[in-house]
Amino acid sequence: MMTFQRPYLFLAKTTLFALIISSAPASQTLLEVSPFWVLLFFIYWLINFPAKGRFFLALILGVLIDILHGDILGQNALALILSSAFIVNVKQSFYVSNLSTQQVYVFSAASIYLSLILLVHILTQGFNFSYYLLFTPLTSALFWPVIKLALSKCRH
Amino acid sequence: MQFIKLFTPVFIAIFLILSDYKYAALDDIKQTISTLIKTPINFIANQASDLYQWIDQQGSDETEDTLRKHNDHLTNQIIKLKTKLQAQEVLELNNKKLAQLLDVSYTVKEKKFTLARVSNISQSRLKKQITINKGSNDGLKIGQVALGTEGVAGQITQVTPQHSTILMITDPTQYIPVQNKRNGIRGVGKGFSSNQERLNVNFIESHLDVALGDVFLSSSVGSKFPSGHLVGRVSHVEKHINDPFLHIQLTPIQSVSQLEFLLIVSEQ
Repeated sequence: MMTFQRPYLFLAKTTLFALIISSAPASQTLLEVSPFWVLLFFIYWLINFPAKGRFFLALILGVLIDILHGDILGQNALALILSSAFIVNVKQSFYVSNLSTQQVYVFSAASIYLSLILLVHILTQGFNFSYYLLFTPLTSALFWPVIKLALSKCRH
Repeated sequence: MQFIKLFTPVFIAIFLILSDYKYAALDDIKQTISTLIKTPINFIANQASDLYQWIDQQGSDETEDTLRKHNDHLTNQIIKLKTKLQAQEVLELNNKKLAQLLDVSYTVKEKKFTLARVSNISQSRLKKQITINKGSNDGLKIGQVALGTEGVAGQITQVTPQHSTILMITDPTQYIPVQNKRNGIRGVGKGFSSNQERLNVNFIESHLDVALGDVFLSSSVGSKFPSGHLVGRVSHVEKHINDPFLHIQLTPIQSVSQLEFLLIVSEQ
């Protein structure tokens, strides 16, 4: 079993890694269809580490993404908080489910995330976005087994 | 209790969205945190592409002969550009003389150019932006304009000591005043999110003359962009009944995919 301090250290390390992946040079289309890396890493952390202040941590991570990507402050934060709330709500079921069912949960969380960032975008800048973005929940769900395997290796 | 735990961060996030969008009240804090986190993350994230560039340069199979030809070509270009520059200097001098004769206070401002290499094409899913390898350490500031070899590329929106982020003219939140090279008709260019290589031109009345293939240049209206740089070529013009304005689309002359170096313009 992990000690009490390690969940936060693990989260810090994985978040840093997720932020680096999401900032890596890529073409516009590849970037648009790429998974929500921070969300995937955060889902793994939420499911496997019992910790306090999960939603505040989601807020902090979301603000970091907003600043790093130059988006409206709070846009990714709101999306990450509410998609985390969904995962926390289905946590028990998620933990005991098989990989395919977990992918469905990840797809739903990523869809909530996408809906919220698009909602803020549409309200502030109008209905004007690339339709490739709609593939993001799918790619997030497809990458979930890889993330889960990699992080479970890192955890031990 | 669970309600408070969830909705307090939600309300904070909504407050942040409103304050950032409506009032830009948190710009200074944003800039400080951005400097702290962006520099190390960008540095690590760009290592792979830097390494690739280095290997590419090392493994270059350019022979001495090719290098010589390349060198000759560049020397020729320098001579041609120097000749053009002389003509420009004569024009500038004439402009100053005329301004003195007419007692006009308007003068052409001296400009400084900083060469920067594109290190990353985009980071945000919802914005069209690029990162360059020069920042506040090189004297770059928010609001300065970036020019490509073909035309206007965009404007600096974020600066850290070693990197800067440029919002492209094709981003839907970027507005650029433009004018038709052929007849001087002015409009405002605005990008599309859904399409990489398109710009809309708004506010050109439907009775005005705009044709396919016309070239639009940047205009200094609003003093945001320097005037006279190529922006785009008209690829679509449509006149709608009951609409007082033409629907014009431009194909940007400066393509993002070809960008390797940019010139950042700053006034001296």
